[in-house]
Amino acid sequence: MSEKFELSGEQTHQEGQINQDELILQQQRQIQQEISESTPLVGELESISSLNAEYSSDEVYLQKIKDLASKYKFVRRTRPDGNCFFRGFSYGYIEKLLSNKDEFKTFYTLAENSKSSLVELGFPQFTVEDFYDTFMEVLKRISDMPTLEESKRELHQLFNEQGYSDYMVVYLRLLTSGQLQREKDFYSCFIEGDRTVIDFCHQEVEPMYKESDHIHIMAACSAMNTGVRVVYMDRGNNKQVTEHDLPEGSTPYVHLLYRPGHYDILYPN
Amino acid sequence: MTDLQSKYNLKSPGVKRLMREALELAEPTEEYHACPLEDNLFEWHFTVRGPQGTEFDGGLYHGRILLPTQYPMQPPNIILLTPNGRFEVNKKICLSISGYHPESWQPSWSIRTALLALIAFMPTPAAGTVGSLDYTPEERKVLARRSRNFECNSCGPVANKLAEDKGNRLGGDILTAEESSLLKQISLKGEEETNRLQDKGENVVTASVRPVECKDSGEAAETEIRQRLVPTETVEEEPVCVERQDSILRTSIQRSNR
Repeated sequence: MSEKFELSGEQTHQEGQINQDELILQQQRQIQQEISESTPLVGELESISSLNAEYSSDEVYLQKIKDLASKYKFVRRTRPDGNCFFRGFSYGYIEKLLSNKDEFKTFYTLAENSKSSLVELGFPQFTVEDFYDTFMEVLKRISDMPTLEESKRELHQLFNEQGYSDYMVVYLRLLTSGQLQREKDFYSCFIEGDRTVIDFCHQEVEPMYKESDHIHIMAACSAMNTGVRVVYMDRGNNKQVTEHDLPEGSTPYVHLLYRPGHYDILYPN
Repeated sequence: MTDLQSKYNLKSPGVKRLMREALELAEPTEEYHACPLEDNLFEWHFTVRGPQGTEFDGGLYHGRILLPTQYPMQPPNIILLTPNGRFEVNKKICLSISGYHPESWQPSWSIRTALLALIAFMPTPAAGTVGSLDYTPEERKVLARRSRNFECNSCGPVANKLAEDKGNRLGGDILTAEESSLLKQISLKGEEETNRLQDKGENVVTASVRPVECKDSGEAAETEIRQRLVPTETVEEEPVCVERQDSILRTSIQRSNR
């Protein structure tokens, strides 16, 4: 085999490949930019009535927003990229913990001990460590701020930096997957079809951008040792929004608004 | 590495991650080696050794790894440069879970996972998937022998890129249990351009496991893809210096080089 043959093959390839790479990247960037420009990863606090704008002539929704406004003061929107539950939940949870130093400390210790249990479950140490280090760095940077206000600002800023924000999401996905695997006998009843809990984790929990269902929320809450109230708002006929506490019977610590396919953070009156 | 360190934002978790991976993979092993290009942390070149006891045994396969800016949130693309008879050269192939869609990449996988998967996946049947070639074992053995003479434009000869082969490769002891079970699930396939473009921003994913098509239409489709990938086709015009007796292989190699 002559070297010339190989080289010419490669040169030809590289020109063509670069064009193709460029085209793909260009389109990727464009789509990502469109989504990014319309919604930040985690938005500012907005009044509940700001939701009205999305349903200007939809009586069912407007009625339900009124009901929602009687229970909640603010909504904080998250980017609809399939990670909204994980991003919204971790943001809301950490934000709430900031106002109680003891609870924050308890959570910090829980997080500190979480890496070894993931490695014990068989997650690759090298990459788990990478996500863990960033997760802990974020917790530390937020809690090191001298005032509550500055901590919240730091939290908001880090959760809107794609790199950090996505790393938080990944680590929470790993913790959720770990919880599902540790209690696989319990969770297997919630999985439809003949998928095992581990298959489910590999296909629906660990990959980014995969949307979350009840089972993700239950496992994420157990992993973080907390509870979530999910407030459902859809076009169903009842006039009120429906509330679900997950895991069942737990005390809600974080409140999330669910509209089909998407979670935002809620702030009670 | 020092150059790269000054060029990129080291605070970015993605950059930190690639630096970590570069350190982890700095020392060539018997079966793989990969490192970033001197001036680009997001393009790596790799060399893998063909798996023992297969028609790729003795082969050294070189290629590029293109990392998306969102790595590790999005998967690396692997591009083989050495003709091998299993994967088309100069075509992006990506990792996914077998029988599942390409968006099943997990951020906890790494470049090492991708290389191990590539080695493990080489001897599997091509089964008509995009980017796959089903050359005969004889053709692959000839390519394996020749692969040792391959020279990369950026990296030079590949012959001494890996640690010396002492014959105790990929022993169970160097793979974690998780990796072994992962490798059984992972599949590698060529990127389907149209699906990929549609899927990228949205996270709704269409099933993209290509059905095994009848050979004619499958090949026609592949030719089109190759033509789009390599618009400036010059290989055929160049004098090709391949020995006479290898005419079958020559055709094959031309096919895979296109």
